[in-house]
Amino acid sequence: MNIFFRELRSNLKSLLIWSGIVFLFSVIGFSKFSAFYNNPELTAILDSMPPAVISALSMNAFNLTTVTGFFGIMILYFSLILAISAAMWGSDIISKEERDRTVEFSLTLPVTRNRVVNAKTAAAAVNCIILLLVMWGATVFGAQNFNPDNEFYAYVSIAMLAFLLLQMVFLALGIFLGCALKRYKLAGSAAIAVILVTYFTSILSGLNKDLDFLKYFTPFKYFDAATMLRDNRLEWPFVLLSAGIIIVLLIGAHIAYRRRDLYI
Amino acid sequence: MSIIEVNHLTKYYGKSRGIVDISFKVEEGEIFGFIGPNGAGKSTTIRLFLSLIYPTKGEAKIFGKDCIKFGPELRQEIGYLPSEVFYYEGMKVLDLLKYSASFFQKDCTKRMHELSDLMELDLKRRISDLSYGNKKKVGIVQGLLHQPKLIVLDEPTAGLDPLMQHKFFDLIREENKRGATVFFSSHILGEVQRLCNRVAIIKEGSIINIQDIKTLQKDNYKKVRVTADDLDEKRFKVKGVTDLEKENGSISFFYKGDINAITKLIGSRKISDLTIEDLTLEEIFMHYYE
Repeated sequence: MNIFFRELRSNLKSLLIWSGIVFLFSVIGFSKFSAFYNNPELTAILDSMPPAVISALSMNAFNLTTVTGFFGIMILYFSLILAISAAMWGSDIISKEERDRTVEFSLTLPVTRNRVVNAKTAAAAVNCIILLLVMWGATVFGAQNFNPDNEFYAYVSIAMLAFLLLQMVFLALGIFLGCALKRYKLAGSAAIAVILVTYFTSILSGLNKDLDFLKYFTPFKYFDAATMLRDNRLEWPFVLLSAGIIIVLLIGAHIAYRRRDLYI
Repeated sequence: MSIIEVNHLTKYYGKSRGIVDISFKVEEGEIFGFIGPNGAGKSTTIRLFLSLIYPTKGEAKIFGKDCIKFGPELRQEIGYLPSEVFYYEGMKVLDLLKYSASFFQKDCTKRMHELSDLMELDLKRRISDLSYGNKKKVGIVQGLLHQPKLIVLDEPTAGLDPLMQHKFFDLIREENKRGATVFFSSHILGEVQRLCNRVAIIKEGSIINIQDIKTLQKDNYKKVRVTADDLDEKRFKVKGVTDLEKENGSISFFYKGDINAITKLIGSRKISDLTIEDLTLEEIFMHYYE
């Protein structure tokens, strides 16, 4: 538990910064929304936009003049923030020991490498969950001015569950990259590269029916904002797929880290 | 049972050499010197002991157990002081030491405070505010607070002032008397000479000699300097003489062999001055690295 608590403390500053970003983003988002709220003109403008653009911004399924619809649009951006923070935390929490050359201390203590990876993964996961709770709070708080109904709360709850899975997928990815890459400097940028590629894949897959199969390759599409609004539940195949990816990445991380030379 | 037993240990980093086919043993209670210039493979060997890196070939055993397979268990009883210490910058010294102590099965609090007092460590300061030498002192306390059975030192005195070095050597001797075995890697011969019983000399990844410090100095070369008028240095070009030099009417050379042979040679002439002395470890060392 000592590694776990030390990591939590050392990550506190980063967590506060990300929480600030999330909070600010919600505040700005909802203040923009006040212009759309119950505004029929907006619907007219959106109708005149090309369908591809609408689809790329994943606006097709939502009525932007209601707070529920607006949150549906926000999901995309929240996903990005959560994915980036999770992947960065994951890769950083492992690779920083080599970057700061502290491996010569922390891994010459009587600890197994598995224990180190587990404790660090747990600490990063707790960070992710706290950030998610901040986001939840900020969303509910920001929505208060716009008469949120039960549908809104239910939608937010199911979205948070989807966010959690998304975070864990990208956290596992970050941990894996931190553990597996010999050149620790690459871990962070590799994580961001994967996020960008999967993000643009998710946009591509929405553009055309023929590209629909791409949704299996991008976690951003596993829990589609529109589908969640319609069904108010997560799709099981994608829950299992996420869990599978998380497990495979974490096992891979352990194996890679156990076998690899640590560079100083 | 040897405390450290190294068999054909080899480490390549990709294609570049770390160490090649190293074998040696360190017995219980020894202070074993490990000496060589930068890049000879000293730190590589130590990092293999601590399973920070894995061998390409061969094995190292500590307390009779493989140091990779039983790494975490063995490290309960190993104290390590790296040549450069890096700790979590944001932490206070006391928190860091407590954190380190929390990994050991025994209670280290008392020893931790004893050592901190001895090293005159300010426990309230932040790691990031410490000078190089002060970080080193934290390293010494951190490496010894669990009273390890094996102490591994990698160029430990760098950054310590002479007074602290002295204290540190006393501390190591004390730990050694208590029963700890010490593996002392360094490129400074003086300190090895002061502290160690045996020494291994490593050059370009291979061990070229393992000897008692005393035999290393005694059984080897003598340094001879002869002063006389119109000396002919050619007379001294005999078996066992190396590094012959003439300057200002005196001749100096290294000699290895029967001491009577050389005194007879010198005695056959009228000379004004003569010194014959042991080589310092420095000179022996230079000899190995020529």
